Amino acid sequence: MLQQILKLPLNILLFGWRIRGNRAGLIGWIGIVAYFILTFIMPMFVEFDDEPKLDEITGPLGSRIVLVVHKDDADIKTFEDLEGKTVGVVSQTGGPILIEPYADTLTVESYRWSSRRDGPGIQAALVDVANKEIDATLIFSKSIEEFIYNQEDAELKDLFEDNLVISNPEFGPPHILGTDTQGRDIATHIVHGGRVLILTAVIGGVISTGIALVLGSVSALLGGVVDNVATALTNLILAVPRFPLLVVLAGLIRFDNTLLLGVLIGLLGWPALMRAIRAQVLSLRERDFVEAAQSLGLSTNHIMFREILPNMISFVSINFIFSITFAMYEQIGLVVLGLAPISDYTWGVMLYFGRTRGTLFNPDGASMALSPVLAIALFQVCLVLFARALEEIFDPRLRSTA
Amino acid sequence: MASNTNNIETSQENNVLDTLYDLTQKITKNYTIRIFVQAFFTILAVMTFTFVLIRLMPGNPIDVLIEQILVQEGISYREAYDRVAASFQFDPDATIFDQYIEWLTDLFRFDLGNSITSPGTRVIDEIARFLPWTVFAVGTALLISFVLGIVLGMTMAYYRNSTLDHVLSLLASFMTGVPNYIWGLLIVIIIGIQWGLFDVGAMRGTYDSDVTPGFNSAFIISAIQHATLPIITYVVSTLGSWMLNMKSSTMSVLNEDYVNVAEARGLKDNRIITAYVGRNASLPLFTQLTISIGFVLGSGVVIEEIFVYWGLGHYLFQSITVRDYTSMQGVFLMLTMTVVLANVFADLTYGFLDPRVRISGEK
Amino acid sequence: MKKRFLVIFTLVLAVMAMAFAPVQAQENTLNVAWPYTVPPTGHFNTFATNGIVLGQYQDLHEPPLAILLWATGEYEGMIAEEFGWDDDGNYVVKMVEGYTWSDGSSMTADDLMATFNIFRLRGDAVWANMTGIEKVDDYTVKFVMDAPSSLVERLILITNLRPASVYGDIANRAAALEPGDEWDALLAELTEFRPEAPVSGGPYTIIPDSINEANIMMELNPGGFAGDIQNFDSVRMWNGETEVVTPLVANEELWYITHGIPPTTEEAFATQGIDIVRSGMNNGPGIYVNHNVYPLNLVEVRQAIAYVIDREQNGFVSLGESGVAVEYMDGMSDGLSDAWLSDETIDSLNFYEYSPETAEALLEGIGFSRNDDGIWVDDNGDTLSFELTFPQEYADWSAAAENATAQLNDFGFDITARGVQFQQHPQDIYDGNFELAIRNWGLGDPIPARSFLEAYNRYNGQGELAGEGVGGGMGFDVNVAYSGGEINVFDISNASSQGVDAAAQAELVTELAVSYNELLPAIPLWERYTNNSLNRNYISVPDASDPIYANFGGGADNWMTYLILTGVAAPADM
Repeated sequence: MLQQILKLPLNILLFGWRIRGNRAGLIGWIGIVAYFILTFIMPMFVEFDDEPKLDEITGPLGSRIVLVVHKDDADIKTFEDLEGKTVGVVSQTGGPILIEPYADTLTVESYRWSSRRDGPGIQAALVDVANKEIDATLIFSKSIEEFIYNQEDAELKDLFEDNLVISNPEFGPPHILGTDTQGRDIATHIVHGGRVLILTAVIGGVISTGIALVLGSVSALLGGVVDNVATALTNLILAVPRFPLLVVLAGLIRFDNTLLLGVLIGLLGWPALMRAIRAQVLSLRERDFVEAAQSLGLSTNHIMFREILPNMISFVSINFIFSITFAMYEQIGLVVLGLAPISDYTWGVMLYFGRTRGTLFNPDGASMALSPVLAIALFQVCLVLFARALEEIFDPRLRSTA
Repeated sequence: MASNTNNIETSQENNVLDTLYDLTQKITKNYTIRIFVQAFFTILAVMTFTFVLIRLMPGNPIDVLIEQILVQEGISYREAYDRVAASFQFDPDATIFDQYIEWLTDLFRFDLGNSITSPGTRVIDEIARFLPWTVFAVGTALLISFVLGIVLGMTMAYYRNSTLDHVLSLLASFMTGVPNYIWGLLIVIIIGIQWGLFDVGAMRGTYDSDVTPGFNSAFIISAIQHATLPIITYVVSTLGSWMLNMKSSTMSVLNEDYVNVAEARGLKDNRIITAYVGRNASLPLFTQLTISIGFVLGSGVVIEEIFVYWGLGHYLFQSITVRDYTSMQGVFLMLTMTVVLANVFADLTYGFLDPRVRISGEK
Repeated sequence: MKKRFLVIFTLVLAVMAMAFAPVQAQENTLNVAWPYTVPPTGHFNTFATNGIVLGQYQDLHEPPLAILLWATGEYEGMIAEEFGWDDDGNYVVKMVEGYTWSDGSSMTADDLMATFNIFRLRGDAVWANMTGIEKVDDYTVKFVMDAPSSLVERLILITNLRPASVYGDIANRAAALEPGDEWDALLAELTEFRPEAPVSGGPYTIIPDSINEANIMMELNPGGFAGDIQNFDSVRMWNGETEVVTPLVANEELWYITHGIPPTTEEAFATQGIDIVRSGMNNGPGIYVNHNVYPLNLVEVRQAIAYVIDREQNGFVSLGESGVAVEYMDGMSDGLSDAWLSDETIDSLNFYEYSPETAEALLEGIGFSRNDDGIWVDDNGDTLSFELTFPQEYADWSAAAENATAQLNDFGFDITARGVQFQQHPQDIYDGNFELAIRNWGLGDPIPARSFLEAYNRYNGQGELAGEGVGGGMGFDVNVAYSGGEINVFDISNASSQGVDAAAQAELVTELAVSYNELLPAIPLWERYTNNSLNRNYISVPDASDPIYANFGGGADNWMTYLILTGVAAPADM
């Protein structure tokens, strides 16, 4: 067992080498491996940013915390420079979190975010730096705009412009994908938001494609009563209105289990594919090679898996991929209805909140809605590209002459 | 004599039973009739199930409207309750069975009943108001997407592994990877607001308000213009799947012997593409097309909201929100009928399109 | 054949391309928005559901008797020229003269009589305190009642006037009836009544042919109330909810919306130069507890919850600058408290300022302690684990719920948040099917009693009102003992809106406020302020410091309709 796990990266590389002829397939394969690393391995190293930071709300891509000091201290740029100094941070912002590891080496002056009596804490901190009561303060790049450049109070504006300088505009770690409506880093959410989603979607895709495949082929091959019953059942499920069904289900059960959610989605998605597969098999059934196999007396099993299926592999794989993506977006609907817990902050949930909190209308904030969409869409692209490699493996006629 | 009379009577009974038996045999033997009968019972079964299902949803029209008024107008619960209870003729205590029988009998008179939340408005009028627009927009988009998908898919298959194929594949898989409402919002925000390529406000609605509906050119032009953006959104979000499906289908056909034979015979490329490859490759897509037609009516609720292009999806969503049972039933009936009839159509025409299946069906 | 197809195809493409041609904006039209339904669902009967009423803009076609100026607390008469109590304790309203409805009929007392007779048929709350109406002369109506109350005065004055020419027939028949079978039949007839055309008595009339799902045009009605002092020739009423109207505002085709926008959108608008007008709405989310659940029924636990949550953070995270933390924690908004309570009373209130240490002391004082995982355990050994439900679709409440859960859990509670469908959630509360829940404290109404009754009535089992099977809500015993004695808060709430003696009412309101502050039946979090978007490049209205902006709008007393009815709102270039 351990040997197999250790051999895994080797197998991955070998497989990649094997399909190197099909460039698109190779790119797809690399992409899938990258996604696997992103969603399964990186979460072990990157922590989910769960702290609402009131000053970092909808920060644009690349925004970060900067260090503001008095003009006379402009050479203070790093944490080492700050040793022994007094640094002002405002509670419930990014400052306290950033400074926590260094709390022993310097003095922390804490300001309350805002109170009716005293007003914004950020402003108070800036004023204290300008008046040299504290040595430095940590402030978000967006807040610089708001409190210094666009300062409406003329007195304060002069005070700040005369006395303050941004000694280190790259003090804190950058938010590669910006921040969401609570000030949390989006990149960490993307890292953590894929695993459950992909697992559930794959389970759903496998189940729906599997059922459609089996039911479709069997009913097409056997015909007669089996076909009638299967088709009638499919029509029935296709025709039942989805939304009220889910609403009623939401009132009765709650799915906390990834597996069950995937199963539910799979059970919802198979009818449409079943009909398409059935039609395919119906036409393939009449082909000469099938007739030949039948006259040879080969079993239905053999006919289905050895004769018909390989001819459909391209069709089935494409629709399998679509069913995975469909399952991903379907999950959003289920979360909205309360069938799935919101506590699993998947890409779908991010998209939902991003959209309902109006981030698409704000260029700074659009990343909250668009990053998950991009993550899902690129995943589909990788799968489709990879499917080409699979096609060649299963269908020798498609192999390009190297 | 007694036994003789008995014999005569029994034989007459037998005749009636025999006729019935013959009739049912004829029905089940004939493919077409059987399918239609099945469809009828499917619709009936689904509608009955739906009837019960929607009443199982939490909330009822009165409670929902009370909450709506409370949130909107900030008046007290008492006032909202008074107003709503007075305006509804909805009796939450009538048994489901009675309601069902009543609805069913109305249905056979082609009467879909009155809306609960808007007494005095017939459901059939509301459906007639909204249905054509959904059919127009989504139907046109489906057609465009299908045709374009077939053409591009075949191109991708013919030029497999070329740059064109790679680019189109990428585009196709990306486009369908993004949900349609995101495309809609992006179109409005980026193309409409940021780039200013169209007037966001004037392009709302299904047609301009100063134009009278009818068969005049102003109305037709206006309708086409207003449908443009929703159609573009639908096409962009569905084109990719048609392309990729067609490509895979074409690929499997291209390697068939009859294609090689046709080429060897020296047939013109055009002829091969349309009559041989195209026709065979698009067969499986036709089933999907008919199924998609079945879903035309129910899709795109969010698109209809974003572009304020109100069709059946919007109407359905509104009725669900306020729990207007009769409206919901009317719409679901439409949807169910469309899905089932689309399937019937698929079953009947597939034999026509693909002779191989026809042969087997008659076995 | 192919050629013809190509020609048609190119034509259609050309037509579609024309969609991308810019369209000129209309001059002198006021662009505002309010959702409505289109015919056949929508109709012109403003007494029935789905009538095209246009929310607060109803004032523009069915003007109100008076508008309350929230800053001063005085009513300014619109249709009502004179209004007040007479010596017998009845209310008398004298209407302005000389205005006509858009269908030509004069605006007289007949209209007022018809409106109120239909209210009586509908069973509106205003009739609960009245015994009858009398037409004194062509322009004066007397409202006969047993006991005067400021609540009834308000309900009368915010009435929107309907035309007798349309509703007079049904109204007269209703006036002659008493509850019974004929009454119910007439009520059904009222609900299904569909006037053919809208009739307006205000400055603007709806143009029926212009109604489509995108917008409605309203044209000037010169003979109507305030029709002669308007600065706009027409009004375009855009349709849609927030996501739909936001692009229009960003595009500057829509100049004023009352839709609550999320803080992110607010920021985008502000960058564009669109003004954000904020006024307190006298309500907001609060944490309701189920008093049947131990130990939530202990006042110390509720107070601890109040001390543990930093309400300013919670408000800011939820709604940005429009989520203003509640300071006084007395069951009504801080604005109302300032208006109704004396300074001494306010000073005596506990502001429950953020203080986890106080919360710890409180909990330890009743025998609770932290277990090894840091979770609080009550005196029975059970952890303080509860479920907090909230309506999923309300973005700001769901944010408040998430944040409150996080803060409580940081302190050592064990709260799980769960979203519920918004139609289902109030039902769950009414049925007592919850442990902790986010619901509104307060109500957007200037009368304090209304705010308190949300907690003491609506969410506390409305009893016979909602019929059988309705649970006891949060199960709070309205007979309370506090520092000022023993009172029944439900009765006091109702009494505080009766009579016309403001001083006596203020005393009762004080009792309510102080008892609420001590006992915290629910924990208010923050007050929702409007964030109306106003594009001053196109509309000229008074400066932000003008007291009219205390009228938060959304229902009666909206400041935009007030400015229109008084002829102040004008195009920006004038």
